[in-house]
Amino acid sequence: MTAPLMTTPLMAATVTDPRLGQDRPGGPLHPGFVRRRASRSTRGIAPGALRVQDLAVTFRSKRAAVRAVREVSFTVEPGRTLVLLGESGSGKSVSARATLRLYGDRVDVEGSATLADLDLFGLSEAEMRAVRGKSLGFVPQDAGGSLDPLRRIGAQVAEVVRWHGVERTRRAARDRAVDLLAQVGIPDPGRVARAYPHELSGGMRQRALIAIAISCGPRVLIADEPTTALDVTIQAQVLELFARLQDELGMGLLMVTHDVGVAEQVADRVAVMYAGRLVEEGPGAVVLSQPAHPYTAGLLGAVPTPETPRGGLQAIAGQPPPAGAVVADGCAFADRCAFAVEACRRESPPLAEVGPGHRAACPVVGGSVVGRAVVGGPAVGGPVAVGQPVRGVSHPEGPAS
Amino acid sequence: MSVVELPASLPDLPVPGIGGTARATHRRHIPLTVIIPGTFILLLILAAIFAPVVAPYGPTAGSIANRLQPIGSPGHLLGTDEQGWDILSRLIWGARPSLLEGIVPVVVAGVIGTFLGVVAALAGRRTHTLIMRCLDVLYSFPAVLLAIALAAALGAGVVNAIVALSIVLIAPIARVAETEVARIRSADFMEAARASGASWPSIVVRQVLPNIGPVLLVYCTAMVGLAIVFAGGLSLLGLGVPPPAAEWGSMLSTLDQDLYTQPVLALIPAIMIFVTSIAFNVLGDGLRDLLDVRSETVS
Amino acid sequence: MSRFVLRRLLIAVPTLIGVTIVVFITIKIIPGDPIASLAGIGSTAATRAALTHRLGLDQPWPVQYFDWLKSILTGDFGMSISRQSPVRPLVLSALWNTLILAFAGGVVAFVGGTVLGAWSALRRRHVDGKIAGGASVVAVAAPQYSVALLLLVVLAVNNPIFPSGGMYDSGGGGGFPALLDHLVLPAIAVGLAPMGVVARIFRSSLLDVMDQEFVTSLRSRGLGRSAVLRHAFHNTLPSLFTVAGLQIGFLLGGAIFVEILFTWPGLGQLIFQAISSRDYPMIEACSLVLAVAFVLLNVVIDTGHALVDPRVRR
Repeated sequence: MTAPLMTTPLMAATVTDPRLGQDRPGGPLHPGFVRRRASRSTRGIAPGALRVQDLAVTFRSKRAAVRAVREVSFTVEPGRTLVLLGESGSGKSVSARATLRLYGDRVDVEGSATLADLDLFGLSEAEMRAVRGKSLGFVPQDAGGSLDPLRRIGAQVAEVVRWHGVERTRRAARDRAVDLLAQVGIPDPGRVARAYPHELSGGMRQRALIAIAISCGPRVLIADEPTTALDVTIQAQVLELFARLQDELGMGLLMVTHDVGVAEQVADRVAVMYAGRLVEEGPGAVVLSQPAHPYTAGLLGAVPTPETPRGGLQAIAGQPPPAGAVVADGCAFADRCAFAVEACRRESPPLAEVGPGHRAACPVVGGSVVGRAVVGGPAVGGPVAVGQPVRGVSHPEGPAS
Repeated sequence: MSVVELPASLPDLPVPGIGGTARATHRRHIPLTVIIPGTFILLLILAAIFAPVVAPYGPTAGSIANRLQPIGSPGHLLGTDEQGWDILSRLIWGARPSLLEGIVPVVVAGVIGTFLGVVAALAGRRTHTLIMRCLDVLYSFPAVLLAIALAAALGAGVVNAIVALSIVLIAPIARVAETEVARIRSADFMEAARASGASWPSIVVRQVLPNIGPVLLVYCTAMVGLAIVFAGGLSLLGLGVPPPAAEWGSMLSTLDQDLYTQPVLALIPAIMIFVTSIAFNVLGDGLRDLLDVRSETVS
Repeated sequence: MSRFVLRRLLIAVPTLIGVTIVVFITIKIIPGDPIASLAGIGSTAATRAALTHRLGLDQPWPVQYFDWLKSILTGDFGMSISRQSPVRPLVLSALWNTLILAFAGGVVAFVGGTVLGAWSALRRRHVDGKIAGGASVVAVAAPQYSVALLLLVVLAVNNPIFPSGGMYDSGGGGGFPALLDHLVLPAIAVGLAPMGVVARIFRSSLLDVMDQEFVTSLRSRGLGRSAVLRHAFHNTLPSLFTVAGLQIGFLLGGAIFVEILFTWPGLGQLIFQAISSRDYPMIEACSLVLAVAFVLLNVVIDTGHALVDPRVRR
């Protein structure tokens, strides 16, 4: 599955660049002291995995404390894609941003996050800044609002490149910026570099943000709903771009999305979130074809496919709890679940192993072979359908793409 | 299963109302920023109306032998001016023209300006351009200068000052009205009203005005404060109300001439205008919170 | 960019023409008969008719307008009735002094306003931030002449810390330091209310910018605090330019009142004297000059705005 690593200029600079991972004098913008320390910590990073354990995020305001995310754990392997899938308000974006420590002091983040052997939550803010944008890239959701409207595209890319010391001089940074824009598939990158954000289309802006995110060769790229604001044709191009970059750079990809179709295209693994918790997690092909949690099944059933017979779209009844509303006892999905039993409302079910590398938080469906056979595949004309053809994927294991 | 708490930061759900912009939760309590200045202004208006009863002396009662008594003199809480007249009384009597010079221009300009703004926003392109260009001409003058030029041309006197100020205020009010109407022009409820066959006048009265009303009210409240300040300034220049009539601006003008003998006295009408201006401004802010007005035109 | 400036100047031309028309009409609607007062009491009808003809006042208004416009454009602003001397030199030197005062007021307004606004924004959850916010509200409502009087009484008359009038030391001496000394109080008086407005708008703009997605995006790139703040402040500049355009009018207008109270030799003083002596050519010229200055200053501000914000350049 892994294509041979191609040596693009960017690749060469990041993987074999002798400057990386060694002490070097601080650039003009920071005290050398801070950067040296961060370099020391990144020295040991092998093409590393991003591991998040027991993440919990609480928003504190004057009146209340809101638990947006609890007990979330996931791993992004190098070169692989993990899709964090869920509706709005499920806590997926919050999880991604909390991993990057993008929240301020009104937000409590608990748990741990490590990049290779680097403990992200143990770093000081200054050290974390050296990691962000360099070893951990972030592609924000709203391309229009995420670029400084008053600065040219090329300048914004070059700024990051110079900040992290990938290039030292203005000219070199400018040239690298143009290279990066070309690498993300922007035609006429020289002209685009001189343009302002408002002069570009949404797809171009998104690519520019991707260019910024990969500019320093990150080990893992976190993309927050990168395709939501784009139309379908552009979406496909952007996803293809991610795949190509992964091949070229060997980086891991954490993609946050609510779009099942996107997940189907890119996911090596899928983690499904609902009401701030993980409800299912496993290989993409398996989760998306033989879900072990009723919510996942519902998500899949709500997506039209060529096989969906007329009148066969099944929406999940009810509404998810408002973002952050805390469910005290029992499974958060119980009210909307066709399979719920008494026990479901008493205790919040833990994630349990339901297959090789596949966990789900549903003892009713996931825990029983019969239940899973019943639930497997899109629900048509009712919450339970037996023997329905599974969309598109003919074998449970195999590349999702 | 129990839901423990809802986050306080949840946005309220929009409630479809006549105007489509109502909020589900209305403020149950009136904020202090409305009560305090509102009370002050109310008392001021009452004092002005009942001046003969409230003021200790008449506006021109006194003898010149008693001139320029300092604050706290017996019988004259705020002293006397250069003619020997009691300042406190003149302050109360002066509230009449000063408040009129503030409120009347805003009402007049409010009506005319709103009309022009609504028409400009809803009528065809040519009418819009015509009206906006004419307003632009007025707008191309600093407001103070326009007021002075018009007042100078028309001559002194309360009525002329009011006319001048009205003309000056038409353009800004029209502009706010036009911006607001343009903003809601393409809203769903407007299309619904038109589709249901309602005539333009009824649409304006029943859909447009209730929606732009709050913004205009907030803006005009602040404008009253501004108009009072302008009126005071006109009197300072010798336009506006001529002595011996009591008016805050003209009191300021005459007392300023004796600045070196009794400096503090001149401050009294100055502070009066200042405080009244603050009151109207804060009231405007308070109304904006109370009516939950969210618009970039009223910052 | 230069295309933008050209376009902007072109738009200013009809505005300027409109300004001249308004000034012209304003003078024309003055009630009363200028001829009668010029010719004097007891003049004969023939004298008055001759005078009317000589001054061109028997022509239709449009003709009078163009004649007047022509003379304005060639620099002839007429004669001051009360001083019996040409208007132009008086007006031009007064204009310069007024611009100095308005500029100083602008400095007070923008420097003070951005500091006050930033303070009330960045410390908004603390007491001092709320006080700063309250101060802005009070400042907005401050009538420029009231503040002038307050400052005059407290800091000049009762306690002679600052001079109480004039532009330089007596006899025009003292040079630049004396100018600054004389400028302090009037500049504060002129600039205080605009300062309040700038503070409120800057506060709201800063909070708005800090809240925007791109700040999070900047942080996610690993940029440090100073870089992020730099980007943020840069993004508040467009709103400051918008405010500037609106406040220029109050700076110029407020200068008029403050000049009277501080006997500052600017257009305000001239207008004041002209009003009391019914010197209409003077009033006319002062108004015209101030209005033209206002229009041109707006062009400058719009240009600055376009320099800072590329989206405006269209």
